[in-house]
Amino acid sequence: MDSAHTRLHFDYNAPQSLEAGLLALRKSPGAAIIAGGTDLLPSWRGGLIHPTLVIDFKHLGLSYIKAEVNRVRIGAYTTHSQMMVSELLTGYFPALPEACRQIAAPPIRNRGTLGGNLVNASPAADTAPPLMAYDAELVLVKDGSQRVVPLDKFFIGPGETLKQPDELLAEVYIPFCEPNTASKFIKMGNRRAMAIAVASVAVRISLGKAEEVLEARIALGSVAPTPIRAREAESLLVGEKLSEDVISAAAYMAQGEVAPISDIRASKEYRSRMVEVLVKRSLLAARTELKERMTGE
Amino acid sequence: MNKIDLTFTVNGGVRTVATKPHRTLLNVLREDLDLISVKEGCSQGDCGACVVIMDGFAVNSCLVLAPQAQGSEIITLEGLAQNGELHPLQKMFIEKWAFQCGYCTPGILMSCYALLLHNPVPTPDEVKDAISGNLCRCTGYQAIIDAVMAAVAS
Repeated sequence: MDSAHTRLHFDYNAPQSLEAGLLALRKSPGAAIIAGGTDLLPSWRGGLIHPTLVIDFKHLGLSYIKAEVNRVRIGAYTTHSQMMVSELLTGYFPALPEACRQIAAPPIRNRGTLGGNLVNASPAADTAPPLMAYDAELVLVKDGSQRVVPLDKFFIGPGETLKQPDELLAEVYIPFCEPNTASKFIKMGNRRAMAIAVASVAVRISLGKAEEVLEARIALGSVAPTPIRAREAESLLVGEKLSEDVISAAAYMAQGEVAPISDIRASKEYRSRMVEVLVKRSLLAARTELKERMTGE
Repeated sequence: MNKIDLTFTVNGGVRTVATKPHRTLLNVLREDLDLISVKEGCSQGDCGACVVIMDGFAVNSCLVLAPQAQGSEIITLEGLAQNGELHPLQKMFIEKWAFQCGYCTPGILMSCYALLLHNPVPTPDEVKDAISGNLCRCTGYQAIIDAVMAAVAS
């Protein structure tokens, strides 16, 4: 069944219309979607996937970052390099381009895409924590229909998502944040470049008029089978003022919400400890930014 | 599997190559067009030995499927010298002894060339970022950064 022939060869199709591409996807059970190819080709060479056809949606205008009244829409074929330099993203969603900037190295960032990073469903996917912190939603399209899925429901396990084989992740929605919001991303890796995260964290904090926390998001990478939110730590922050004690308590609580493994990059004990450190650091950085902004105005 | 006709621009000239679609840009450049500066190292995007310029940006040619390069504009190390004269980056790599075994050199030169296309006056930190996806097993990084900064200054 799994002959060398089927493993080493595949056809390539770059459809000129979304309809044609989605139809090809539905009719070809052995098809894989290719975007930047930075994960697909190593997986194929490593014998992890055996596509008979790869479908490239590159002609279909899925590379864009644009604002609407309530949200920003990012096409799934947008590269990490494009997100890094987007003024819209650095202005309103800075944790996302910051995460993109820390992915691998320029040749990978020039090809790797947002859609690929999410659909691959690595627990260490760098764009996942910031997008979770921003309450991003994903648009999944297939021949004849589409659905919108919140990112924090999308991941099922390592390499597993809600996306069905006949579906294409077409774009990502990010709602604009409350006016008084700060967001941060910190990645801890064994090197500064070309490193898969040992642990990563993205936080988003929105303050109300009395400087109380209106909304809090804490999203973590590489410390569970999927990127996750530390919901109990988030709840602890809501309604409170961002004192150092409250921040420390939230960071401690976040550590109890993760389920890391030991691997070649770090032990589970170290990862758990780093969750507390990184959550605290990122919340303190968010607090500093919010304070500076208040005194600046 | 059927071959496809890949037509693209390589170092300023239009080329057409019949290739099976599962082959990579690296395979086509190196094996079909004899551009042997393009080296295969890790085949995973970790080492940068295969870096070329695709439509103005550095890419790992081992991670680009040949059909994905349809209509693109590729520059390899062979395209840097003009009218028999080496590019300033190449001259400074020689002057500053910025290579030892030389295997990583074409990829590193292309990463640096891509940097200068977008950022003609980079800082040393920006040079480090530009070559962060290029491994030099002789670990000659400091001489490489010196060479790029010297080329910028010239």
